[in-house]
Amino acid sequence: MSEAIATNQTILVVGGGISGLTAALEAAECGKQVVLLEKSPSVGGRVGQLYKYFPKLCIPTCGLEIQYRRLKANRNIRLISMAEVTDIKGEEGNYNISVKVAPRYVNENCTACGECGDAVEAEFDDEHNFGLGKRKGAYLTSRMAYPQRYVLDPRIIGTDDAQKAKDACKYNAVDLEMQEQDMELNVGSVIWATGWKPYDAAKIQPYGYDRFDNVITNVEMERMMDPFGPTGGRIQRPSDGKEPKNIAFIQCAGSRDHNHLKHCSRICCMASLKQTTYVREQFGDEAKSTIYYIDIRAIDRIDDFYQKVKEDENVSFVKSKVANIVDNKDSGNLILNGVDTEGYNRYANEHDLVVLAIGMESNVPAGVFPEGTAINEHNFIDFDPANGGIFGAGCSSDALDVNRATQNATAAALRAIQVVNRVAGQEG
Amino acid sequence: MSNLNQAMIEKYRSSFLNEVEANVEEGHWVKMCMQCGVCSGSCPLGPHWEHPPQELFMMIRANEREAVLKSDSMWMCTSCYNCIARCPRGLPITHIMHGLATYAKRLNLVPKKQPTAEFGQMFWDSLSKNGRVNELKIGVGLYFKDGFAQGVKNAMAGRELGMAMMKTQRMNAMEYFGGHKCKDTSGIQKMLKKAQEFEDQQITRFDGKEG
Amino acid sequence: MSENKTGAYICQGCGLGERLDTSQLVTIATRDGKANVAKEHEFLCSAEGVKMIQDDIDNEGVNKVVIAACSRRAKTDAFRFDDVAMSRANLREGVIWVRPDTDEARETTQEMADDYVRMACAEVKHMKLPESSGEQSLNRHLMVVGGGISGLTSAIEAAKAGYKVDLVEKSGELGGQVGKLYKSVPRKNGLQGYVDSEIGELIEAVNANDNITIHLNTTVAGTEGAPGRFKAELATESGSTSSIEIGAIVQATGFRRYDINQLDNLGGGKSPDVVDQMGFEELAKAANGGTIKRPSDGKEVSNVVFVQCAGQRSNEPGHLNYCSGHCCTTSIKQAMYVRDAGGDATVLFDDLRTPGATGEDFYRAGQEKGVAFSKGKCTSVDTSGDLKVNFKDLILDEDATANADMVVLATGMVPASGPNPYLQLELDEAKNQEGQEEKVVKLEAELAKAPDSILNLSYRQGTDVPHLKNGFTDSHFICFPYETRRTGIYTAGPVRRPMDTSQAIEDATGATMKAIQACENAAQGRAAHPRSGDLSFPSFRKEGCTQCKRCTVECPFGAIDEDEKGYPQYNEARCRRCGTCMGACPVRVISFENYSVETVGQQLKNVDIPDEFDEKPRILVLACENDAYPALDMAGMNREEISPWARIIPVRCLGSVNTIWITDALNSGYDGVMLMGCQKGDNYQCHFVKGSEMAHYRMSKIDDTLKTLNLEKERVQTYEVSIADIQRIPKLINDMDKMIVDEIGMSPFKF
Repeated sequence: MSEAIATNQTILVVGGGISGLTAALEAAECGKQVVLLEKSPSVGGRVGQLYKYFPKLCIPTCGLEIQYRRLKANRNIRLISMAEVTDIKGEEGNYNISVKVAPRYVNENCTACGECGDAVEAEFDDEHNFGLGKRKGAYLTSRMAYPQRYVLDPRIIGTDDAQKAKDACKYNAVDLEMQEQDMELNVGSVIWATGWKPYDAAKIQPYGYDRFDNVITNVEMERMMDPFGPTGGRIQRPSDGKEPKNIAFIQCAGSRDHNHLKHCSRICCMASLKQTTYVREQFGDEAKSTIYYIDIRAIDRIDDFYQKVKEDENVSFVKSKVANIVDNKDSGNLILNGVDTEGYNRYANEHDLVVLAIGMESNVPAGVFPEGTAINEHNFIDFDPANGGIFGAGCSSDALDVNRATQNATAAALRAIQVVNRVAGQEG
Repeated sequence: MSNLNQAMIEKYRSSFLNEVEANVEEGHWVKMCMQCGVCSGSCPLGPHWEHPPQELFMMIRANEREAVLKSDSMWMCTSCYNCIARCPRGLPITHIMHGLATYAKRLNLVPKKQPTAEFGQMFWDSLSKNGRVNELKIGVGLYFKDGFAQGVKNAMAGRELGMAMMKTQRMNAMEYFGGHKCKDTSGIQKMLKKAQEFEDQQITRFDGKEG
Repeated sequence: MSENKTGAYICQGCGLGERLDTSQLVTIATRDGKANVAKEHEFLCSAEGVKMIQDDIDNEGVNKVVIAACSRRAKTDAFRFDDVAMSRANLREGVIWVRPDTDEARETTQEMADDYVRMACAEVKHMKLPESSGEQSLNRHLMVVGGGISGLTSAIEAAKAGYKVDLVEKSGELGGQVGKLYKSVPRKNGLQGYVDSEIGELIEAVNANDNITIHLNTTVAGTEGAPGRFKAELATESGSTSSIEIGAIVQATGFRRYDINQLDNLGGGKSPDVVDQMGFEELAKAANGGTIKRPSDGKEVSNVVFVQCAGQRSNEPGHLNYCSGHCCTTSIKQAMYVRDAGGDATVLFDDLRTPGATGEDFYRAGQEKGVAFSKGKCTSVDTSGDLKVNFKDLILDEDATANADMVVLATGMVPASGPNPYLQLELDEAKNQEGQEEKVVKLEAELAKAPDSILNLSYRQGTDVPHLKNGFTDSHFICFPYETRRTGIYTAGPVRRPMDTSQAIEDATGATMKAIQACENAAQGRAAHPRSGDLSFPSFRKEGCTQCKRCTVECPFGAIDEDEKGYPQYNEARCRRCGTCMGACPVRVISFENYSVETVGQQLKNVDIPDEFDEKPRILVLACENDAYPALDMAGMNREEISPWARIIPVRCLGSVNTIWITDALNSGYDGVMLMGCQKGDNYQCHFVKGSEMAHYRMSKIDDTLKTLNLEKERVQTYEVSIADIQRIPKLINDMDKMIVDEIGMSPFKF
């Protein structure tokens, strides 16, 4: 990759989730040159794993489709997938970025016909489904995958499967000789939008995520709702596949907690409120949802969604941080122990499924940014003059919902444009 | 001692929270409670408390001074540390419970016949006299604290354990008569006396006699 | 290149060669599609295949390209040719992937492919390359309305990007509500407690910036034009006027204080010592770090109770039914003022809403300062003597009373937006109809209460930016917070949505980004989101126009005005290219160069309609390209089976569907017509706001047409679908197939 794909009037966007896509598109549609890096084989990020957005209960891929169309139509953006930034040096208006590009083993000849996927036998845990299901060793990350190009799992390289994939491809798209590549980019400004990951639920020991099958996370619940997901669109108990009738949602699972993440993850209240509507959608009057919460943070105008859910007699609210969970080995049910703080009533409530409203952990990496970059104790990038031309966007800047993340990413795009416009002004 | 209680009431008329902050060990943490209730749910003795820890904190905030200090709830804490381990704000709840108990005792507000308080007093009396605790005397004292008849009943119930301990020489009946002392009993007593003086000074500051 | 030359390129890859007779497709393209060049290729998207096409463009003068291969959503990088019109026949996702690979199915599968090739050839024949309208102009100059924190931020951020700004402020000074605050909630590191407001420095920076012209005591008397060429009349209090030309507009008019007198049960208006948060800020500012003195008697306050959600999050009459988002942190900040001056402060809350990292840290900072937090519902404030706050303590489950020197009611934000433009339009319409007297009275009453206009737009569809809900001018889209129904005009700050200072700063920066982009787009004639970059643009045939005004009324973006004679007047830079006007036009005179009544009409007419006795029905599916069409693609990827009788045409938006297409289809002998658009109504998901709504409305009137043709009304159906309906959409089509075959039978209109 010797060709110059970037200059110090280029904006580098790191992360191809909803925030990175937004920042890249807004800047590019303003005429700026943008390089967009994505670590995984396709863009879309976390929102592509969601079933519906709150509060409209609309489909996340609908917005992604628009973003992809904008992306396909825009020649100012150069998208590089499977790429990670390993180092940033320099200063505002002149950064040197070291990038590592992992081999995809599939080149641009790929037509996404799917023959390689059919030929390969090995299966692996499907990241798109948080490991709840399997995928082939040659795969598209999802139906919405963009770039719409297959990828080979590096674990099959050197096995018969790799050769099978190669042999199945009529278009010479499988290239088993691909190697990891190092790239250096010179850019004027950096928008960092690497998003978030669900907090490791197993670390919340009293809730037994690692011990009890029927304790799941809210992101897993989203995958269950996908008609093509691991459960075929059904909410079911992992232990026995039965329909749960009495579901508990535990808020602040890993958030607002000095043992875990100190910050409030903002989205989890609305996410659980939303998921009670999933329960309604699937089971009608037959299933009950109970939300165990500290404060319901349905902030600003979306409070009306909370009001609406509150009116549902099948949804109840208990102001309590659940103390612990024990399982009923015979039924697979779970007993939640705690105290309802409104009146101090002790409870030992039995539920057949527990959903942890898991916290949002920032993906901002250590050891990449120039010294002095203002990254706060919660691992979010502050908006700070010390950061020069590096701007956090979306959930790299705070725990944000999609609406605020895109708002923030749009703002970040302007900040980056200011930098490259200054460079352009100086260079004439 | 009731003077001290009155003095405190007057000094902190508007805010029991401020009183707790100033006088109770780790009391400054009380205001950090975010009202989640995980401490209360986590306490293994929870069902036996009248007011679980968070409720005590909320009562402190709500100026329910008398109800808190005269409560026997904080005396129930067995220092298992479940609450501390789980508290999302890192409140040292165990220590606060002990702090509240100590403060209540200092103000002479301990409920009558509170077993933990009685045990504590016996422990202290034994310790301060000999420089070490006479386990047998405390044990017998506890057995008989509710009267002779109850004491006999208690002793009978524990007799197998007692015999076994004697057999394996973990207990010596002769200890009841005198028992071990530490090497320098009077030294210890001097130290304790000095400490008591400091403590009294502390108290008199609020007792209306000073400041 | 005036001469039209069509090249049709048929791919044999991905199984197309095995499943279809591609040489027959070449014949079809040449014979039926009148392609000048028609070629097969075993791997069309390969470098070699693409070169073959490019060579024909370069050397053979091909300027209309048909790609008969995969979906238009696939291989877009490969099939990207400059300066040619292109149509894609979807043979892979749309044909072979949705049909079983059996001998039995082979004939009908081939027929599908044949038709899609005919359709693509017909479409491209009627497509033209978008040409410049001559309306483009570059004006890197913004007007920002409102001189509060949002407006100031917008102005300075635009200036930093090199754009000029006219900042218009109604009052005599900059700073707005934030300027009246004593201290601020920090934008980062919430643990530090409150911080000095940055508004002073911001005002200084704005004052000192050469790119920014400040107009104080000024309002916008009129705005006309479009992005890139707006003209605004500014009127000062003294009566002088001036005119400015700008490329785009940011409206940052902030919020008004909720009238505290409406909360008399909470003591609002009954005691001077019961104030709202802004009132308390004034007192804090006056005290300047000392003890706050209460208004009634100047007594130094030592005990303040803050009542959260006062008159908000409530459906009681006169209350605000939303949460204003900032009030929890604001009360914590004000409680800190009290604590720092040695007093006691209690916050009575329902849910404490301090989200994110900074928010939660700020809550902790408040606790560390000893602010007391009580989860409680305030029932009343007794103002007869010393203030008493009666509340239900929800934690201790008891009725309680707190004494207070002062009570602060955390009331909500009322957006300072202009009047809802659709009210006037609705009134005009109601006046023109019989029997709408009641509605007229109601609307007139509502309009009488409406605030003064802010932008005074000379638009056909009213003077101001439409409201979403409760007077806020927000976008309805989760992924697109800056979607606007008035292109080139972006609202920011609490006029858009309730928000705190930090968010207002972010919001204003984002809105400014979009405003700058609107200037750049206007200069190129490019559409704004969601058809970003589209250079096509509607025009109309004047001689055919009947001045019915349907297009000017139905445009979801208020892009079309009327000239003196009542003809539509398009404004390219305001247009979003959805085609709703085209769908609306009863005389079909509106078209885009590359999307018109003809490009779609010719497609459906070029489908081969078998004889009635062949028992091969034809079902026309007009599918929204944003949601229904991608869902169909994914159905293909998933190998969902779809009836071989369906012929699917993507449309820009269901709103662009002109009823002539339906009539034509029925007249041509189609047995069923299906329209698939996005969700409509209050929770609309239509990317063009009301396109789907309009289509449903228009189709509700199609019954008359069906009646005249003596056809069953079941033959025409309109659906709301989503991009996730990967299984449902095939099922709907297959159900239509079944209904035709089993119930209503073939159309009698076959020739």
